[in-house]
Amino acid sequence: MLQIRDLVKVYPGPVAALQGVSLDVSKGMFGLLGPNGAGKTTLMRIVAGLLEPTSGTVAFNGEDIVADPRRIRRQLGYLPQDFGFYPHLSGEAMLRYLLVLKGVQAPQGLKKLAAELLERVNLSYAAKRKVKGYSGGMKQRLGIAQALAGDPRLIIVDEPTAGLDPEERIRFYRLLAELAEDRTVLLSTHIVEDISVLCPRVAIMYGGHFVADTTPGEAREQLTGTIYQGAVAKEDLSGIERRYRITQAILIEGRNQVRIHLPLRDAADDGVPDGFEAVDPTLEDAYLLLAQANGSGANAGAPETGS
Amino acid sequence: MNGFTRWWEVTRRELLTGLRRPAYWLLFAILLLMAWGWSEGAVTIASGDSTVGGEQSWVTSVFAQSMIQCIVVMGIGAWFLAIAAGLVVIRDLELQVTEVFHSTRLTPREYVWGKFAGAVGVFLVIWILYLCMGAVFNHILAAGEDARHIGPFALGNYLYPTVLFGLPQILLFAGVPFFLGTWTRRPIIVFFFPVTVLLVTLGFLTLWSPDWLSPGANRALMIVDPSGYRWLNETFLKVDRGVEFYNTAVLRPDAGFLLSRVAYGLIGLLAVSGAAVSYAGRLRRGASESRLFRRRRPAEAAGHAVATSADATLRDLEMATEPLGFWKAAREIGREEVRELVRRPGMYLFVPLILYQSIFATLVAIGPFNSRLLLTSGAVAVRQLNTLTLLICFLLLFYTVESLHKERSRRLAEIFHATPIGTGSILLGKTIGNSVVAGLILSVGVVASWGVILYQQLFEGSPVRFDIVPFVATWGGVLVPTFIFWTALVTTLFAFFRNRYAVYAIGFALIVYTVYRMDIDDSFGWALNWMAWDAVQWSDLGAFSLNGRELLLNRILYLSMVPPLVLLAVKWFGRFDFDATRLVHRLRPKPLLIGALRLLPFALPAIVLALVLHFGGEAGRQGEAAEEAGKDYWRENVRTWTDFEMPSVSNVDMAIDLEPAERSASVEGEYTFHNHRDYAYDQIPITAGQWDPIEWTLNGEEHEPDDRSNLFVFTPEVPLGPGDSLTIGFSYELEFPRGMSKRASGAGQFILDAGVVLTAFSPTFAPIPGYDAGIGVDGDNSSEPQDYADDFYEGETEPLFGWGGEPFTARTRITLPEEYTANGVGQKVSDEVADGRRTVVWETDHPVALFNVVAGRYAVKEGDGTAIYYHPEHDYNIEEMSAALDAARKYFSEWFHPFPWDLLKISEFAAFATYAQGFPTNITFSEGIGFLAKSDPRSHVAFMVVAHEAAHQWWGNLLTPGQGPGGNILSEGMAHYSTMLLHEQVYGDRYRIEFGKRLEQQYGDQRFVDSERPMVKIDGSRAGDGTVTYDKGGWVPWMLQQEMGRENILAGLQAFIAKYNPDPDFPVIQDMLAVLRDFAPDTTAFDAFAEQWFFDVVVPEYRFSDVTKVREGGEWVVRGTVENVGTGRMRVQVGATSGERWSDEGDDGSRTVVNDDYRDARTEVELGAGESAEFVIRAGFEPERVLIDPDVLVLQLNREFAVFEFEE
Repeated sequence: MLQIRDLVKVYPGPVAALQGVSLDVSKGMFGLLGPNGAGKTTLMRIVAGLLEPTSGTVAFNGEDIVADPRRIRRQLGYLPQDFGFYPHLSGEAMLRYLLVLKGVQAPQGLKKLAAELLERVNLSYAAKRKVKGYSGGMKQRLGIAQALAGDPRLIIVDEPTAGLDPEERIRFYRLLAELAEDRTVLLSTHIVEDISVLCPRVAIMYGGHFVADTTPGEAREQLTGTIYQGAVAKEDLSGIERRYRITQAILIEGRNQVRIHLPLRDAADDGVPDGFEAVDPTLEDAYLLLAQANGSGANAGAPETGS
Repeated sequence: MNGFTRWWEVTRRELLTGLRRPAYWLLFAILLLMAWGWSEGAVTIASGDSTVGGEQSWVTSVFAQSMIQCIVVMGIGAWFLAIAAGLVVIRDLELQVTEVFHSTRLTPREYVWGKFAGAVGVFLVIWILYLCMGAVFNHILAAGEDARHIGPFALGNYLYPTVLFGLPQILLFAGVPFFLGTWTRRPIIVFFFPVTVLLVTLGFLTLWSPDWLSPGANRALMIVDPSGYRWLNETFLKVDRGVEFYNTAVLRPDAGFLLSRVAYGLIGLLAVSGAAVSYAGRLRRGASESRLFRRRRPAEAAGHAVATSADATLRDLEMATEPLGFWKAAREIGREEVRELVRRPGMYLFVPLILYQSIFATLVAIGPFNSRLLLTSGAVAVRQLNTLTLLICFLLLFYTVESLHKERSRRLAEIFHATPIGTGSILLGKTIGNSVVAGLILSVGVVASWGVILYQQLFEGSPVRFDIVPFVATWGGVLVPTFIFWTALVTTLFAFFRNRYAVYAIGFALIVYTVYRMDIDDSFGWALNWMAWDAVQWSDLGAFSLNGRELLLNRILYLSMVPPLVLLAVKWFGRFDFDATRLVHRLRPKPLLIGALRLLPFALPAIVLALVLHFGGEAGRQGEAAEEAGKDYWRENVRTWTDFEMPSVSNVDMAIDLEPAERSASVEGEYTFHNHRDYAYDQIPITAGQWDPIEWTLNGEEHEPDDRSNLFVFTPEVPLGPGDSLTIGFSYELEFPRGMSKRASGAGQFILDAGVVLTAFSPTFAPIPGYDAGIGVDGDNSSEPQDYADDFYEGETEPLFGWGGEPFTARTRITLPEEYTANGVGQKVSDEVADGRRTVVWETDHPVALFNVVAGRYAVKEGDGTAIYYHPEHDYNIEEMSAALDAARKYFSEWFHPFPWDLLKISEFAAFATYAQGFPTNITFSEGIGFLAKSDPRSHVAFMVVAHEAAHQWWGNLLTPGQGPGGNILSEGMAHYSTMLLHEQVYGDRYRIEFGKRLEQQYGDQRFVDSERPMVKIDGSRAGDGTVTYDKGGWVPWMLQQEMGRENILAGLQAFIAKYNPDPDFPVIQDMLAVLRDFAPDTTAFDAFAEQWFFDVVVPEYRFSDVTKVREGGEWVVRGTVENVGTGRMRVQVGATSGERWSDEGDDGSRTVVNDDYRDARTEVELGAGESAEFVIRAGFEPERVLIDPDVLVLQLNREFAVFEFEE
């Protein structure tokens, strides 16, 4: 169980990256959503024991990470957002070196283990190649391999699928899901769809706060019957924008494909615009509405959250 | 926005970023300190008059500023420039900002030139600030004594050297590393460039100038030297041109030098241009690595490989986690560090470079009288200590910082630091890795040193064998703790600052400052001397015997600082980013105090050791207490007793019980004073050492003299009347050297396990009659040299050294452990061993003026009335030295005065000081003199030093010179003259000529034109007096011999010694001339010679012009003009020669043999200053050259230019 209490982080400036966040995360996959600068990476670095918070506590299975970051390291699998490797080492040598440092053991020995891990992330073909020749996706997969290695009880992955093609992304999520069965996985990503599929729970951060702590199903359910979709001519879009809260507007073949949020009572009062039909809400709708609400400084219209 | 605007934006940004870096401001602080030092007159051109009110060379002259600027830019600027400019592109690449830059309209060329201009711009800003502050220090703030070195303000004097010497270097030292950094993207290569150039330039190019170097090669080296110092030195500074010239002349570069400066600037700019090309090319290729270092990669599988086990799970792998233990983790980290180091080129560049530097410095080592040294293992090991310390510390600074920064620069830090491995393991592992470099250098260094000694054996016939023990003792015991401490300190600094530039700057400053303090003002005591700089005075007679205790404590001190440093490093190391707010809270006094208290147990040993070393040093012989005691002595007695004329000591009876291992002795003795004057003495003062308590007797009765801060004044009940005698007895115990030393230094006298050297020059073991004017005098209270009247020598003159009065008899009873041999003055009358103690009694068989005691574990080589006592392993030159001593005793007795004592002996002592002293019958030689000189049949170094020191038996003892100007020339100059005579006698003309040329060269190089005074005025108080005393002092009697004739001068010298031995009036040069004049065949010529060489300063310098040769009939006729461009009037021969004069064949080259095919024909001219004369030489052979003074009979300057070679 990961327990975060009243966590505050103020960078010199001052910039308040975290403004007193609290969260309990139990076993399983936990998604973290939020726009750039919301504080996700700061939170993850603090949980990984790499950054000291200004105040607050973080405990994993009862052990205080802030007081002694060493305690988390032996239980941690960590994939940061931005990372590199020793360029002169081959992928296999680099991974083996990190396995040694992490204290990973396996019956087949580290050399074989490294090879098998590389196979899991589909990097066997480049195992002997120097890391400096790896593409961004290959480096990402090498990073994933080291993060999943060993027997980590807490896995923190920050934007793990950046640079991965769809096939690799799915492969990675399958591995992650396997691990999440009996341990805690903290997944930060911008890809709402991934959270929706993978994470039974998700927290949405905005401006250093948690603005929602829910499940994807709950979030969608809150919006049932309030999302409408229709096509609008370019010149009519401003009129829609004035009257409704738009969650999505994409220009396709000269017309805007628009999704609007229309609370039930408003739908009865103002009516649904012509050509719009009720559609199933998505987690993305919920996320975007929350973002809008926080961006405008109001929570009006935001779905209620459950925990 | 046009290209220029974009370039300027890059430049401006780099400039502003650079100016915010602490490293540059540290550079400014260093330069500021230097500017202040210059304004205080710390460095000026060695010219001018050192007396009060004399004209001084200005530090503000264009010559002085050029000298300073070319060295400062090279010595300090090069490092900063190279690091700053060389890393600028690497840093951007690490930050991955370049691709973003070039997605704009910024071109690679604009970017590269902008970065370069910015980096150079920062340095120029700092440099201009330094010049401004230097001008302020010099022209506004300097006052009083310091202002003597300051001339009128001239902006050009500051800017012109910057343009001529500074700018080309700045462009070179910024441009080339910039190119290397951009091209290779490896910081180590950037680092390599300035270090290589610095070592080669400062260690070789600027100063290496042996006598035999041809002008062409010298010229080439001037051009090659990027600093320009060699050109400046060889062209203007080496031969003193006088203060007027340096202060006012215009510095005009010749065309060749000017072209070289332009070339260096262009090389720098071309390098930047190359960097732009390289950078642009790489951008086009999209390569992340240099082509140079890219290796072939295995062929990739076509397209994306497909996973072979898409359904495999992680669970199948059965992974578990068990964090590594501390040592295993450190080993893994260390192994990876080593793997990387082995792959990097740095090690292969630095190791040979450092070895070259340290071995080269060892090979060119010279000892006294410019003698080459025979290198024993200990000497080889110790002579490399400073060089290895300096260079490896630089190397460790770089490797440690780069290693600690490695994970950050490669963006692996977050993954790496999230592993469960301990911070201590990380730091230790990295240290182990980097230690491999130091270990490798030391290991290869040992092998190379073995090679040096083997080379000596194989090619120079050296008998010295390699011994590993000194290397283990000094490199292992001294260097290794330095490196451990330094690595820990650098690691801690990096952990604290988390900024490699800051650590580079601080580390560099710390090294430079330490070396500066140790080398320039020797002010770091044992507690601060972390580098153990100059800390080992090696002696084969007893290593570490002198300062071993202090050195051991010093080493333990710095090792004991490692644990607290490591704790701090582990605490601060940047795997965890501290929160600024919490950090501020932690910096409150209370948390700081708590932190300090927690650290205290770890820091306590270091604190205690530092205090022991500091206060132990202060309480010891170099400490404030000793200094204050000396000052008290001076303060209380200087007015009363300075000019007190003592009665003679007629007999000395001493019993010395020595405990060398304890550094102690107990002394009992009695002096008999005899009043040889015509008035009575109420009081008799005696100076004692700091021996407490001293028991005194007067005429055998206990007595308590008046204690005036260790000047004990005896007041006999009845004044000591003319012709009367009294005895003063004493007994005391002493430790010598007393207590701990304050800083690493040698010792001229000592009682040590390595041996014993004690003299009666000063109150080290025996009381000194009268007041000792040397005690308690330093820079604060030293007085200006005494101004002597022209006729000061009339009447009775006091002796230059010794106790004065009449010579005395002496009996010295020495008791010490039986394995030691003890030597005193006179002859040995008994030598007995009982209960493991040896008692030796020495008695003078002829009166002496001084006495000494020397002891050691000796072997002995006996000669004809001579003996040499030496360390059993130092028998390398013993035959040559013994032959020299025999020859000296024989011929000097014939030429000057019969040797009146039974035995003439030399005793070797440990090289804690490098000198030789010719006490009557008992000469002491430091092991570095003669015993370890690299003597061969051609250089005769051992012969030369023995001859010189043996000559002091006559010129110093039998003839003790008087105190006053010119006095010392009768000792040192006459000893050199005697050596020339002995060279000629034993080895013939060739080696006398070689010796004469060597003295002449030294005189030309070391004289100070403006302040040189006539020989009769030389009192040792001015710079340049040394070479006049020794070198000119040896040459002038030699020329006088040509003037008077050999037999006449020797007869005159015999009469001179006979007259003044013994005599209460001690002679000076004028007294010698007065005697010699009676033996001169032509007194007019004698007077003229004496007038110009003894009473005036002259030195001829000859040049040829219009030299031709034609065949006329059966002979060759050489015509030409020779001019004396120097001063003085001398008859001098002009020779036309063919073939090489000297042959190395026969007599193993040790005797003069003239080649059969050598021919010469001569004529003679007499030229005064500025005069020229045409000459004609008729020869029966075709001359190959014309030269002045073929037999080296006339002292002159620049003899090598007074040769004309005919073209083939």
